[in-house]
Amino acid sequence: METFELKLAHRDGRLAVLEVGGYINNEAGEAIAGTAKTLLAEGHRILLLDLAGTRIINSIGISLLLEVLERIIEVKGTLAFCCLSPSIAKTFQIMGLAQYARIFPDRPQALAALSVDS
Amino acid sequence: MADGHRRRIVLPREPHAELAAVPLVDLLGEQVGFSHDTLAEIKLALVEACLNALEYGQGEVEVEVVAHADAPARLEITVTDHGAGFDASVVPQPDLTAKLHASRKRGWGIELMRHLMDEVEVHSTPGLTRVRLVRKRKEA
Repeated sequence: METFELKLAHRDGRLAVLEVGGYINNEAGEAIAGTAKTLLAEGHRILLLDLAGTRIINSIGISLLLEVLERIIEVKGTLAFCCLSPSIAKTFQIMGLAQYARIFPDRPQALAALSVDS
Repeated sequence: MADGHRRRIVLPREPHAELAAVPLVDLLGEQVGFSHDTLAEIKLALVEACLNALEYGQGEVEVEVVAHADAPARLEITVTDHGAGFDASVVPQPDLTAKLHASRKRGWGIELMRHLMDEVEVHSTPGLTRVRLVRKRKEA
């Protein structure tokens, strides 16, 4: 099984970038939600989740990502994702996540777009 | 059918048990020519079926994966549990907007299975629930 890893890769003003690796299940989702809550409390309002190291996610992990999204919407922030595997991209498309979160093919494109916003 | 095209596993009652059958999908799916991207979708659906069975079932949760090489080449997965059962026809279709405002944000499993697989059948009675998932290989 892919070991879950979470790393704060970048923070600059309103923007913070989290690198997520491994299986996103309940434990991983809670870790992401907890870190996101801290980042929001610190004043960040744009959160980019780089999922380059993630190949599998389950619906419990997804529900915890929705909690993150709910909190970010409440503070009028932005949740973004980049580097999705095709299967995770399809999962997000099934859910309609692009209505509320921004999705980018890679990190440079995400940073370029989100830096303008921040 | 050759034995090499059928595998069965009883999920262990331990953390991450929902992943225990995932290698069978890779093993048998590659034998009948599925792409890695398609196998990744099948694995997501399998994990959802296993999660439901582990959460709501009792006793053994059994997973059988069968690769059919004859046209149309396909993977057929059956997840069996022995829980109280449920009526899949009344499971509500999740709505993202509603979920974002709800305290319970779960409830995506069956919806994901239905979109990721070509066929999803649920046969459930008290004491026996079988979820059958089928994905056909797209011909080149």
